[in-house]
Amino acid sequence: MLEQAGVSTTSISLVREHTEKVKPPRALFVPFPFGMAFGRPDDAELQHRVLRAALDLLAETTGPVLRDLPAELDPGDQPGAPPQASGITPATQIPDDVAMETTQMRRYHERWLEKSGGRTHFGLAGIPATRFRGAVRFLEGFAEGQDVDMPERPADVPLPNFIRYCADDLKALYFEGHLVMKPAAGGEEIARWFWGETGAGRLLRRVRDRLDASTDPRWKAAAFGVAR
Amino acid sequence: MPRLDRLSQIARNNLLTFPAQVNETAPFVRLTKPLAACRLAIVTTAGLHRRGDRLFTPGDQSYRVIPSDTPTIDIIQSHTSIGFDRVPTMRDVNISFPIDRLRELIARGELGELGPSCYSFMGAQREVARIESETGPEVGRRLRDEGVDIALITPT
Repeated sequence: MLEQAGVSTTSISLVREHTEKVKPPRALFVPFPFGMAFGRPDDAELQHRVLRAALDLLAETTGPVLRDLPAELDPGDQPGAPPQASGITPATQIPDDVAMETTQMRRYHERWLEKSGGRTHFGLAGIPATRFRGAVRFLEGFAEGQDVDMPERPADVPLPNFIRYCADDLKALYFEGHLVMKPAAGGEEIARWFWGETGAGRLLRRVRDRLDASTDPRWKAAAFGVAR
Repeated sequence: MPRLDRLSQIARNNLLTFPAQVNETAPFVRLTKPLAACRLAIVTTAGLHRRGDRLFTPGDQSYRVIPSDTPTIDIIQSHTSIGFDRVPTMRDVNISFPIDRLRELIARGELGELGPSCYSFMGAQREVARIESETGPEVGRRLRDEGVDIALITPT
């Protein structure tokens, strides 16, 4: 569609099998996991090499072109995909007071914000971190089967979508906070900690269970996005 | 990837049965200028947008405009599938949206300039009729009107 408007395109492909069907004009297949299209975070050199390989496809005179990233640029040690909650056994000792745990994580998250210059994935639900204990209480009430809602939920955002945004914000607060506690931690290590050792992880499993028990497909879809 | 042999069987089957569109061929606009004279814009399917912009919902076929001078701290991702790790994007948005790398190429004189806007769509789309008929061509026209020579299409 973009080429029909006269614009040359080049693209990054993460699933070669799909790109072979779609046949975009120019695509560079990269062997990286989802979420890592340009190789590794904070690795400008590798990102530049991937970018250059994608731009090099523009020199081709006919297409479609599907080229593999040169094998020497594949670190080869990346996980296929992050572990899911269902594959992680919760520890026997998990904090009961999730609101208190969240308050503690918020201190780490504030340090993340200082370190990152304010960059954060937190903020989808529109509830400030300073008041996020309220969102935790809301999620707890929901998990217990109560008929709960929050005044911050916009009228055009259905309840299950809002629950999902709250869950995503809770994860962002913990994941980014953990990156301050252990700067070298990868996504797999953080997922194992979150789902295995935190009260927030246990709470989100329970939120997932109530959403998933619904017959409403929108609730089930939200459950699938909260924990799997 | 995800090379498929590095995935669980469930994830592999999900991908193999994903309803990817089958095309026989594609339109192909040859690039007739050197990169150093070209104007480029990112078109991403990573579900990114400016903080405060309308969030994407699953299956959303609309798009968001990200002005090319948007500081990376003002970019947020509302595509939050648990099928991918969000930690790399938390660390560095260039992993899906390589805006800083492009600025570096421009500073080195290897690329001409950025178009005024980048465009963002939601990822993991199974139904694309509206993108094909409406929002995709609209982005094409906008890129053309903005004098963009190259669209760099990036996933999450």
